[in-house]
Amino acid sequence: MRKLWSTFNLPTKISVFWVSLVFFFVLTGSFLPLPNPTEYDPDASGVGLFSAGHLLGTDINGYDLLSNVINGARISILIALVSVGIGGLIGSAIGIGSAYVRGKVDLAVNLFFNILLSIPNLVLGLALVAILATSVDPAIPIDPNRRVFIIIFSLTVVIIPILGRIARGATLSWVNREFIVAARSMGMKDRHIIFKHIVPNVLPAIYAVIFLAIGVVIVAEGALSLLGVGIIDGVSWGAMIGRVAGDFTYAPQSMYVPVIVLALTVIAFNQIGDHLRTQLDSREGKI
Amino acid sequence: MSSILKLENLKVRFATHRGQLEAVRSVDLDIRAGTSIGIVGESGSGKTVMSRAAMGLLTGSNVTREGRITFDGKILSDMSRDEVRNEFGTGMAMIFQDPMTALNPVRRIGSQLQESLRVRLGMNRKEAKARSIELLTLVRIPEPARMLRKFPSQLSGGMRQRIMIAIAISCNPKLLFADEPTTALDVTVQAQILELLTDLRQKLNMTMVLVTHDLGVVAGNTDYVAVMYAGEIVEQAPTAELFANMKMPYTEALFKSIPNIQMKAGSRLPVIEGRLPDPTDRPPGCGFAARCSYAQDKCFSDHPELEAAKDGHLYRCWFPLGDSIQRKVS
Repeated sequence: MRKLWSTFNLPTKISVFWVSLVFFFVLTGSFLPLPNPTEYDPDASGVGLFSAGHLLGTDINGYDLLSNVINGARISILIALVSVGIGGLIGSAIGIGSAYVRGKVDLAVNLFFNILLSIPNLVLGLALVAILATSVDPAIPIDPNRRVFIIIFSLTVVIIPILGRIARGATLSWVNREFIVAARSMGMKDRHIIFKHIVPNVLPAIYAVIFLAIGVVIVAEGALSLLGVGIIDGVSWGAMIGRVAGDFTYAPQSMYVPVIVLALTVIAFNQIGDHLRTQLDSREGKI
Repeated sequence: MSSILKLENLKVRFATHRGQLEAVRSVDLDIRAGTSIGIVGESGSGKTVMSRAAMGLLTGSNVTREGRITFDGKILSDMSRDEVRNEFGTGMAMIFQDPMTALNPVRRIGSQLQESLRVRLGMNRKEAKARSIELLTLVRIPEPARMLRKFPSQLSGGMRQRIMIAIAISCNPKLLFADEPTTALDVTVQAQILELLTDLRQKLNMTMVLVTHDLGVVAGNTDYVAVMYAGEIVEQAPTAELFANMKMPYTEALFKSIPNIQMKAGSRLPVIEGRLPDPTDRPPGCGFAARCSYAQDKCFSDHPELEAAKDGHLYRCWFPLGDSIQRKVS
């Protein structure tokens, strides 16, 4: 671990710092002495940055931006981690399994991945959310918790082929190595070979892509919310941006704050992912 | 002596986009327990495919294996995959050609060595560790306890091959396949590894199948030799008999192509001209006819069968060397 840290360059260190900061606020946000994100301050509507009591200012209605951004981080990061986690697990399992057994199964899986990948992420997510989160009677709104669940599910479906294809490709490059045959020649079972010989070699590739996938999901969730099909009650970053879009001329900070936070977070995740990828690639080259 | 591995009419074919590739066509081989046999042949002669097929390690969907394989009294070719797997490690094991790729790069030596001990022999962590140190001592690795913590990339080729040998013998196999165990190594290390293998074979009472392209390797380390060419055994004999009395022109050509210290500097290395026949489209006659300096018309039209001479010497040639038949030398 210490070895890995020593390879970090300045942008990566800043990214790690930023991501840690975001996680810190996600975990401690509700205990910090900040204004309630759902209560507006009638005396300070649309105040700028560094105002008294409102570090990042407020939006036009007097909601505190800092506490809203922190509150939004919780839902945005939750959605990203859960959907990448589940999608990554399912995708990797499918990818590794199909590359290991090969044949018709692999052909079918590959076709399935390619079909999903041919649909742009956002369109796929949008279509799934639109289908699943529509109530038969428009007068009955969808329960917000159910909505979060639907968004996580849709983004999971977006992630499965992305990680699945990486896992499949990495497995294909390892499965024909001599040490796999050597393990078989000592009487190891397929399950043992997959978990003890293939997975440890495939994991580095997956780690790197997981960070990139988190960035993709944060953006996708933001876009869905911005378009009004995602989180609608304004708690996620995308929803914050969507809610204040009309107020830009009166309270520009209510726009930049969530936009900058979202952008920085995505850049940080991408930077870490990129760094891991180059790091792990070169390590494979040394072998 | 009883037979430990018997191949009868073993055939291996690969389905390729150019048609059926017949890598091994009809090999019969009877390996007696406690002996050591060398399988010799040039690249592409089918020796590696044969040994892997004999063990049942070729599992691709494009592979067809025919024939009967009897291992230690059990008919391997009729067994299910799980039953065959039970023979691996404890019954037979294999050492691979390239020690650079035959170890998992991300796992420590200790965990790879202890894997088979724990999974196949059911040892606990402590027993496996003790046994793995014993095994490393057996393959003459200095400071075995420290070696357990290392990764394959930290070791030299010779060291890795020793580790591979330690893994292969870890479950006391009765039959050890050594598939070109020294090809990827330095000449000086080659000799050490071969000596180690011969020594271990006697100590542990193993039967060894030594696959190599080097007749010199076979000479000092085996009791029997089978020469393979184009997927067939073309000559087979006890080692001393083979070297004293070569019958098959291919064996002679292989022997002559070993560089010799007495050769004049700057002289051309002797080679076998031409190349192996296309395995998807074998010629009707002898596979070696096109490259053989003694070939007659019959060699191109009729496929020779294995003939037996005295002293268990088998050969596949219409006009064997040392016969009084008049030959026109082309």
